[in-house]
Amino acid sequence: MTTTRSDRKTMTCAEFQDRLPELFESHADLSAEEHLKTCENCAALVRDLEYIAQQAKLLLPIHDPSPAVWDKIENAIQTEGSGQERAEANRPPVRA
Amino acid sequence: MSTGQAAPKPVHQHMRRNPPIAGEAEAIQAAQGGDARAFETLYALHKRRVYSLCLRMLGNVAEAEDLTQEAFLQLYRKIATFRGDSAFSTWLHRLAVNVVLMHLRKKGLPQVSLEETLEPSQEDGPRKDIGARDLMLSGSIDRVTLERAVENLPPGYRLVFVLHDVEGYEHNEIADMLACSIGNSKSQLHKARMKLRDLLRTGERKEPAV
Repeated sequence: MTTTRSDRKTMTCAEFQDRLPELFESHADLSAEEHLKTCENCAALVRDLEYIAQQAKLLLPIHDPSPAVWDKIENAIQTEGSGQERAEANRPPVRA
Repeated sequence: MSTGQAAPKPVHQHMRRNPPIAGEAEAIQAAQGGDARAFETLYALHKRRVYSLCLRMLGNVAEAEDLTQEAFLQLYRKIATFRGDSAFSTWLHRLAVNVVLMHLRKKGLPQVSLEETLEPSQEDGPRKDIGARDLMLSGSIDRVTLERAVENLPPGYRLVFVLHDVEGYEHNEIADMLACSIGNSKSQLHKARMKLRDLLRTGERKEPAV
């Protein structure tokens, strides 16, 4: 069922908010939504959600792992490496 | 009002965020040949990005460090298979996401195991603001405040929010990673943003007057 323009005009806040995920994902021009022209509450909600999405993109990777992480990685690599070397040394020679 | 203009869809945002790094190509090639120093260089170049991702997805320093370690160990084992079809950081990033998701599944966290359990309880969900007089966010939420609010999201919401809004993955990619539907990913993202708004507004109200 499609929503006509007059349906949208009389949309309640609950109905509008139910459609919000779909509206955001469609990247439609939300300012054209009739409901937002008359409902300050939903207009504020839309502005906030857009603001949150914009700010999230600015969250840069700022945390560094402790130096102990590299120490553990290095140890594990050395252990794996020596294990592989042992396995190769113990491998029976291939007969021609 | 910022709703006046439809924002263009960011295409593969995580790729745009991964510009080539000086010296990376050489380090990759050398690491593929077994050069331990080169692998250390790759770690130095990417540790912050990988660890930040783990920390944001998990919200726990000890687990984030363990999984950073695991991600780089997997990188060490798999680096020879990197063919350069995508940016190295994109490839490594996806590897790290998979490590975190695997960990969460092993832990049996319901938020990532089944589609319906991606839905936190109703109390965690957004509320309709019908009849309420809402205050708009001030527009000056700083990074630390937002980081803290993201940490306080329920895990299911946090995963989708971090993957989509912070890391720039598309819904089809997230659906694939979390083994849920695209619709579910979209719905979770919306609920996450609603919950964040709640958390941020509550935080704003708690701020002491100066």
